[in-house]
Amino acid sequence: MEITLAHYLVLSGVLFAIGLIGVMRRKNLLMLFFATEILLNATNIGFAAIAHFHNDLTGQMFAFFIIAIAASEVAVGLGLLIVWYKRTGKIDLDIMTSMRG
Amino acid sequence: MEIYLYIALFAPLAGSLFSALFGASPKTSVTGMVASGLLFVSFMSSVVLLNYVMAGHTVHVEMMTWIAAGDFYVPFGFVVDQVSVVMMMVVSVVSTIVHIYSIGYMDHDKGFNRFFSYLSAFVFSMMILVMSDNFLGLFIGWEGVGLCSWLLIGFWYHKESATWAANEAFIMNRIADLAMLVGIFMIYWNIGSLQYDVVFAEISNLSIPIVTWIGIFLFVGAMGKSAQFPLHTWLADAMEGPTPVSALIHAATMVTAGVYLVVRANPIYGLIPEVGVAIASLGAFVAMFAATMALVNRDMKRIVAYSTLSQLGYMFVAAGLGAYWVALFHLMAHAFFKALLFLGAGNVMHAMHDELDPFKMGGLKKSMKVTWILMTLASVALAGIYPLAGFFSKDLILEVAFVEQHYVLYTVLLLTAGLTAFYSFRLVALIFHGNERHLKYGIHPHEAYTFMLYAMAPLAVLAVIAGMVFKTPYYEMVTQLLPAIEYHVHNHTTFWIMTIGTQLFVIAAIAFAYKKYAKAVRVDVKVESGFFYQLLYNQYYIPKIYDEVFTKPYRELSKVAWKQIDLKIVDATVDGIANVIYRTGEKTHTMQNGNLSSMLRWMVVGLVVLLVLAIAFTVGYNAVTMRAM
Amino acid sequence: MQEHILSILIFFPALAAMLGFIVHKDSARAYGITVAAVEFFLSLWLWYLYDPMTSGMQFMESAPLVAAFGINYIVGIDGISLFIIILATFFTMIGIASLTETRRVKDLIVTLLFLEMTMVGVFAALDAVVFYVFWELSLIPMLYIIGAWGGPLRIYASVKFFLYTFTGSLVMLVGMLFMAYFYHQATGQWSFSLLEWYRLILPLNFQLWLFAAFFVGFAIKVPMFPFHTWLPYAHGQAPTIGSVILAAILLKMGTYAFVRFSLPLFPDASVFFMFPIATLAIIMIVYTAMVAYAQEDVKQVVAYSSVSHMGVIVLGTFALNVEGISGSIFLMIAHGVVSGALFLLVGVIYDRRHTKLMSEFGGLASVMPRYATLFGIMMMASVGLPLTINFVGEFLSLLGFYKQSHGFALVAGTAIIVGAIYMLTAYKKMFFGTVTKEENKHLKDVNKTELLALVPLAVITIWLGVYPKPILEPISNSVESIVQLMHDKAQTPEAQKRIPNLGNPEVKNLQQEAH
Repeated sequence: MEITLAHYLVLSGVLFAIGLIGVMRRKNLLMLFFATEILLNATNIGFAAIAHFHNDLTGQMFAFFIIAIAASEVAVGLGLLIVWYKRTGKIDLDIMTSMRG
Repeated sequence: MEIYLYIALFAPLAGSLFSALFGASPKTSVTGMVASGLLFVSFMSSVVLLNYVMAGHTVHVEMMTWIAAGDFYVPFGFVVDQVSVVMMMVVSVVSTIVHIYSIGYMDHDKGFNRFFSYLSAFVFSMMILVMSDNFLGLFIGWEGVGLCSWLLIGFWYHKESATWAANEAFIMNRIADLAMLVGIFMIYWNIGSLQYDVVFAEISNLSIPIVTWIGIFLFVGAMGKSAQFPLHTWLADAMEGPTPVSALIHAATMVTAGVYLVVRANPIYGLIPEVGVAIASLGAFVAMFAATMALVNRDMKRIVAYSTLSQLGYMFVAAGLGAYWVALFHLMAHAFFKALLFLGAGNVMHAMHDELDPFKMGGLKKSMKVTWILMTLASVALAGIYPLAGFFSKDLILEVAFVEQHYVLYTVLLLTAGLTAFYSFRLVALIFHGNERHLKYGIHPHEAYTFMLYAMAPLAVLAVIAGMVFKTPYYEMVTQLLPAIEYHVHNHTTFWIMTIGTQLFVIAAIAFAYKKYAKAVRVDVKVESGFFYQLLYNQYYIPKIYDEVFTKPYRELSKVAWKQIDLKIVDATVDGIANVIYRTGEKTHTMQNGNLSSMLRWMVVGLVVLLVLAIAFTVGYNAVTMRAM
Repeated sequence: MQEHILSILIFFPALAAMLGFIVHKDSARAYGITVAAVEFFLSLWLWYLYDPMTSGMQFMESAPLVAAFGINYIVGIDGISLFIIILATFFTMIGIASLTETRRVKDLIVTLLFLEMTMVGVFAALDAVVFYVFWELSLIPMLYIIGAWGGPLRIYASVKFFLYTFTGSLVMLVGMLFMAYFYHQATGQWSFSLLEWYRLILPLNFQLWLFAAFFVGFAIKVPMFPFHTWLPYAHGQAPTIGSVILAAILLKMGTYAFVRFSLPLFPDASVFFMFPIATLAIIMIVYTAMVAYAQEDVKQVVAYSSVSHMGVIVLGTFALNVEGISGSIFLMIAHGVVSGALFLLVGVIYDRRHTKLMSEFGGLASVMPRYATLFGIMMMASVGLPLTINFVGEFLSLLGFYKQSHGFALVAGTAIIVGAIYMLTAYKKMFFGTVTKEENKHLKDVNKTELLALVPLAVITIWLGVYPKPILEPISNSVESIVQLMHDKAQTPEAQKRIPNLGNPEVKNLQQEAH
């Protein structure tokens, strides 16, 4: 069986769905980060696969960008998370409501 | 000759501006004298122009451009021809006399300078009205006299009744002015010019319905200024103004502007005799209608005002029947004797400390002999007794109606002539004869200043001779411009029966008036409480009806428009929309509860909605374009 | 300098406003008057340089802003915009000269100078984006003037003013973008230049939609019924200077834009919408005149009377012939002068009595004769008496529309009746009768500063009423070219019939001017 673009896209879609559910359901900030990473990587797979099958390097370029941004985001995010943990001792999402409108 | 034209036109303006300089300062008699002097100059220039015109020339000048846009072009142009020179003479004579008279009449008034400023401004406007060579220039004068009339009726602005009357006059005239404007629009779009000479030359090329509409709209304009039914109520109320104003504006000049318009536009009305008959019928109706109201009124000035209204009706009968020169002739004669009558009434008012009810006067001939003679003379002229002015002009209108075979109009006018004689002498009898009823009110009458009486003298002379002396030269002059139709009853017997019969009828009416009012005044309660007396006394309840039908509903409707519609519907809708948006924000801000997890959920919802929309649009768009292909 | 006079005219006040911040607050007034006077004389110089015989755009300047999207800084004037610009500079000058406000004068003057820039900019702009920018910028100073110096309800009034007109402008912006898009579709180039847009002939259904989009923006600004309700609040709360500028200049942006955008861009749609708009105009004339009659506050009478007169202007504009459009533009000037003067006059009495309720007055004619005279002159001008400035405009507007419809012109003509009713009644309430209130017995008549502003206005009112030619002639020339352009572009038979063909070979087409 040859692996076609559709397979990659399905994988990407499944990952994206998992990430989306994670984003929606998880109350733990750390888990939220994991879910976000899954979302980003889902799109990465999509980009890379389409780039490969269309012989266009732009998609891979995008994937690299996303990896770089994801890495920096995680770095900053985890830093903030640690500060928050030190202050409150919890990383539960429900108590972070200081942005209440 | 042009220089005389400009002098005649602008001397009153100079007088007005000069007086206006002192407008706010206390009385300086120099304003009155300068204004009167300048009017005399204007009068002299008019005389020069009259001579020139009588020699068969006319003067036509175009001073400067006024409005020019696209093809529309109207200059300030003035023409002195056979018709306008008659009007100029009437206006300048009467206004000069009224100015001099006013120096005495307004002697003790605080607004002396202001008065002369307004009065001269009026004369200027009137001069523009009669001298303009196009319809829009006429309209300037038309509105200008309206403005001055507003200022002068409301001259004593502290009086509620005076300011109310001023506003009423202005607004009612505006209603008619709208019709006049529409008439002007029609002329412009159908002919492409507003110059009299162009319009009158081209008018016969238009279709009759259009000419008819032009004629009707112009006449409605004339109805306002000449206070014809149903726009007549303002004239009686305008008597709130100072009496010289009533003499000049509301008797001699401004109110006759409507007649002047119809006479001036005679090439238009000549094409549409049906409209002419309608005008004549309305005129006859107003003549009768106003005369009946004058029969029972108890206000000296209002009686004279109704008489003016009635005489304007006569003029419109003549003009409507195509006897334009007769209308203009009566206009002239009427100006002289009616102004005289008003000025006499002014003397009486001064003597009686502004009392207006003739039933509270009586026997004034002892203390005011000259005024008595002058007013009697004016009344005789008004009644149309030979050989005074009224006989020649008014009886001529009766003849016109007879010759043109409008016997109904003739009968109405004949009856009205009797009524005219009756109410005129009722007034004279009540004021000057009988007991001195005013004594019990503690009033001791005195004659007016001598110079005021001298000022009135020329009017008295004119009232006597205007008919006899002027008729032939006048006829020869104006018929160069107006249709020359002589009105003679061909059958000599009929002619003499008519003339003598009319004279006898009028004299009988006078005698009846003297008999009833000259001795003692008996108030007949039964008659006075009767329906007809009350109907006439209340002016056919027309002012009340207008108040109920127009004024009050308009006021109420305006309140509704503001409080109900504007605030509660239009504005509330706008605020409603704003409030909906605001409330939506209020309600939905709970969405922003700060909980990251729920916010993320909303984000996903938004994403899904947008995706669905995008797909739906793409599918829909493709479907549409596919079908289009 | 002559070739950049328009840019100087636009940006000089703004620059002066910036420098105004460093001027000491005691000398702010003198500074403001000087700047405004210089600006006014510059605009007079512009008039002097203007060639009245040319109908097209003059003093054109062009500089690229965003070249890729065809957005350029293009300014230029013709007879239509010239006099509104002069009116704007004139009113800013006498507005600052007659300022009686004592709170934070410096801020107010800086705001006014900034406002002057936006006003001149709107009327000089020939690029849709530049026009839009100035159009929106003009809201900010006005918002600030009402919000900072206004009456008790000032926040509500200013927010309402801002949001209402802003909403309308956004719809207009969408219309502009679509217009540019269509231009791109047709020519393959991006352009926001008005003169280039003039050359585009759009199909009728596009015209209708675009006309509607522009209409919303303009109609709210005018303000046309039923979008007028922001105006009474804005006038009611604004300080005198705010009302004067608002009534004299800002409202004219709407009607000016009709002439500049709607008519030449969408001639067929203009004919299509002629009668609906005329109906709205007549409702404006009669209905707001009635509302004005019911008012208790003299300033509201003048405010509603503005709406009523704007109705006549709109009617004249949509007469679509030279007489009507020239009349409506002349009436814009006339109404600017007269309503500005009336608001100044109301300000005079407000400064003395701190009330605008007519029931508080009565008999003022004997206490303040000069004030009563000036008010009387302006009232009569507002009523449209011949030989005053308003009459020329009203007459031509109505005359123009009479050509299109007899019935509509007749009904609209009731303006002269209903106008007289509310004005005379208000005048009677304020000036006639006896003085009943103790406070009114010793009111001071108009002083020298106030006369300085009012007498020139009275002189202009009568001068241009007697001799309108210097203004009317250039206006008429420029209008002729617009009407000819409209006729040439008209596609529907109805439009070809209704828009007259002047057929004058000397009329230069604006199309050629674009090159």
